[in-house]
Amino acid sequence: MAQAIDVKGKLQVGPSPHVRSKRTAAWVMDQVLIALIPPTLAATFFFGWWVLGMVAIGIGTAVASEFIYQKLTYKPIKIQDHSAAVTGMLVALSLPVTAPIWMIMFGSIFAIVIVKQLNGGIGRNYFNPAVAARVVIKALFTPWLANWVLPGGLLGSGFRGVDAIGSATPLEFIGNGAQVVPEQVPGLFDLFMGFNLGGNVGETSKFAILIGMLYLIFRRVINPKVPILYILTTFVVMGLWSSFDWNFQMTHILTGTLFFGATYMATDYSSGSLTPEGKTVFAIGCGVLTAVFRITLDHPGGVGYSILIMNALAPFIDSKLMPRIYGHKTRPQTKFDRQSTN
Amino acid sequence: MRFSFMGKHGGSHPEENKSRTSKLPIVDASVPKIMVYPVSMHIGAPAKPVVEIGETVKVGQLIAEEGGFVSANVYSSVSGEVIAIEKRGKIGGGEVDSIIVKNDYEYTKADPIVEPGRSQDMSKDEIIQTVRKAGIVGMGGATFPTAVKLSPPPGMTIDTLIINGAECEPYSTSDHRVMVEHADEIIHGINLSRALFPQLRRIYIGVEDNKPDAIKALEEASAEYDDIFVRPLKTMYPQGSEKNLIKSMTGREVSPGGLPAEVRCVVANTSTIRSCYRACEFGEPLIERIVSVSGTPIREPKNLRVKIGTPMDSLIEDCGGFADVPGKVLGGGPMMGKTVSDLGVPIIKGTTAITVLTPEEAEQGDSHDCIMCSECLNVCPVSLQPILISEAFERGNIDKAQELGAMDCIECGNCSFICPSKIPLLENIRSAKAAIKAKEEK
Repeated sequence: MAQAIDVKGKLQVGPSPHVRSKRTAAWVMDQVLIALIPPTLAATFFFGWWVLGMVAIGIGTAVASEFIYQKLTYKPIKIQDHSAAVTGMLVALSLPVTAPIWMIMFGSIFAIVIVKQLNGGIGRNYFNPAVAARVVIKALFTPWLANWVLPGGLLGSGFRGVDAIGSATPLEFIGNGAQVVPEQVPGLFDLFMGFNLGGNVGETSKFAILIGMLYLIFRRVINPKVPILYILTTFVVMGLWSSFDWNFQMTHILTGTLFFGATYMATDYSSGSLTPEGKTVFAIGCGVLTAVFRITLDHPGGVGYSILIMNALAPFIDSKLMPRIYGHKTRPQTKFDRQSTN
Repeated sequence: MRFSFMGKHGGSHPEENKSRTSKLPIVDASVPKIMVYPVSMHIGAPAKPVVEIGETVKVGQLIAEEGGFVSANVYSSVSGEVIAIEKRGKIGGGEVDSIIVKNDYEYTKADPIVEPGRSQDMSKDEIIQTVRKAGIVGMGGATFPTAVKLSPPPGMTIDTLIINGAECEPYSTSDHRVMVEHADEIIHGINLSRALFPQLRRIYIGVEDNKPDAIKALEEASAEYDDIFVRPLKTMYPQGSEKNLIKSMTGREVSPGGLPAEVRCVVANTSTIRSCYRACEFGEPLIERIVSVSGTPIREPKNLRVKIGTPMDSLIEDCGGFADVPGKVLGGGPMMGKTVSDLGVPIIKGTTAITVLTPEEAEQGDSHDCIMCSECLNVCPVSLQPILISEAFERGNIDKAQELGAMDCIECGNCSFICPSKIPLLENIRSAKAAIKAKEEK
């Protein structure tokens, strides 16, 4: 009966709260991995089975390099938080199908060791590791990346886009001062679905990315205002630039890394803004910079530069936009130091 | 479990777990042989015992009188013999001087504290004196002496009375049942306050929308008063925090460290206002309260009418005992309740509920590195940045913790609850507050 259970000396004591939410950091990272499946499948469909090999190499290298780094530095092993896997997958999907294996490995190692671990590890890195890796790869290895590859397709080419054809990216036609969309550029529907498009494998199908974005919003892993404000801001600035040429604006937001970066990279926790208002400024800042870079630069990469610049500004933005505490007239007044804002 | 990463909203959604008791009518708890009355069931100075060992006491007899302005009388809830005055364990740990009464089961009654039946004719001073005499304190858990709360400092007028029926703590249903079964007494209590605050213009009763039957009962009971507004609140923890309730009802914000009276508000819990009515109308001192007993290991959860001073184990037995091994037994709910190490501790004036968690439910999880998800900022009802305060404290930077508003923390526990890395944020913030206080006292 009731007295059968003796509790004497067995009850736990401790401070409140006594319950914890079931969500864990690893669960959050797993959701991002799941959200990356639709773009991976789309890429496999367009570019062939090798995409899966790229992803496996990216994840494997990232996790292995985090493990080895933590072993060598006598730190606790934290690969079980799955954040390294996310970085590796992002790096792989940020490269074209022609990228050599060593480049995927270099990108993953650079992201994990240089950008993430040497800046303090999970939650401490000021820059998004995958973005930094792709920008560095672009800067160092452009000759190996120059051919913007058109897809051979899963059915057409089989294993690895063998009939991959080098071509110019649509961004080269609509960036660098252009104000209208020339005829060579694919139509909006093809851009959205990713048909007959080359480029970095993960960012081809905006449709697939949108599914991933909605999944992350539905799971409440990302704050929807970050990707939405980012894309919307670029759309608006491009409108101002082109006197609101709908086709020009839509072509811009459906081209390049914008969707992919807004969904999976600008939403990164550690390199993004912490405060609610900071997130708004961060997203708008990314959108403005992306538009400006696309208008002024003669080469692609605007999304990467924009996110890195806003990453660098995020702690400062947060320090200026700390929430006003209940009952106080002003925001908290405290000296700005990076350590205490990130 | 629902979560929101949609941005700032100042609350969280822990599993409610109220369904096992929310529909159960209040029943009388059994009264054990030995009753324990701590002299400190309230915030403020402990009461001073006025009985001696061996003395016979009656139901409703004063056994310890208030020890200062911020203090409260203690009454016996049974008749019998004082067998000891000694230190006894209390909810939350530690010991407190307690008067131990051996119940004679005669229930011989002491005289009422005021002449019954004339609450409607009472003057302001009479009401406050009666509430003071009855030993009434905030029964939602804060246990601040109610008479003090009802006497705002001179020069402050009160235009809004807010009755707190939010009951946002998971598992707890005691206020819910009081609102359903005693809505009329709550409204009578509200009407008493009209004599207290001549400038009173509006009375809001805030109830979370997970209690539609309570909202309905209060609306019916208050139908004839056009200045009483029953306001459904979105079910979200901690809707029942005093500061947030004032903000959501009136849009006003209490300044740091300030009293609700400075924004012309007084907030009282539903059970408290009911006790004020019963004290004035029937001359009853505060010797009983409603306690919900629930949680997975409890065999038969109940809403009990409990004589204050009843040890917890008697109530757990009333509920069929444990069907499962308990991990934590709490006085209060899982978000702000306090643990007990021994079930012999008594129910006090502010004990809304007994919540029993299994060891798995009480699992705190291992703490990991912060991933900067910002959820602790999103759920903080007073807009703090809990992780930054916690980290400033861990780095030993107490000034920074203070600048970031550590002292404004209401200790609701949302930050620790929501953290996916299971960082003991509230524990660190509490430590920071203690360090700030220590520094300022130097």
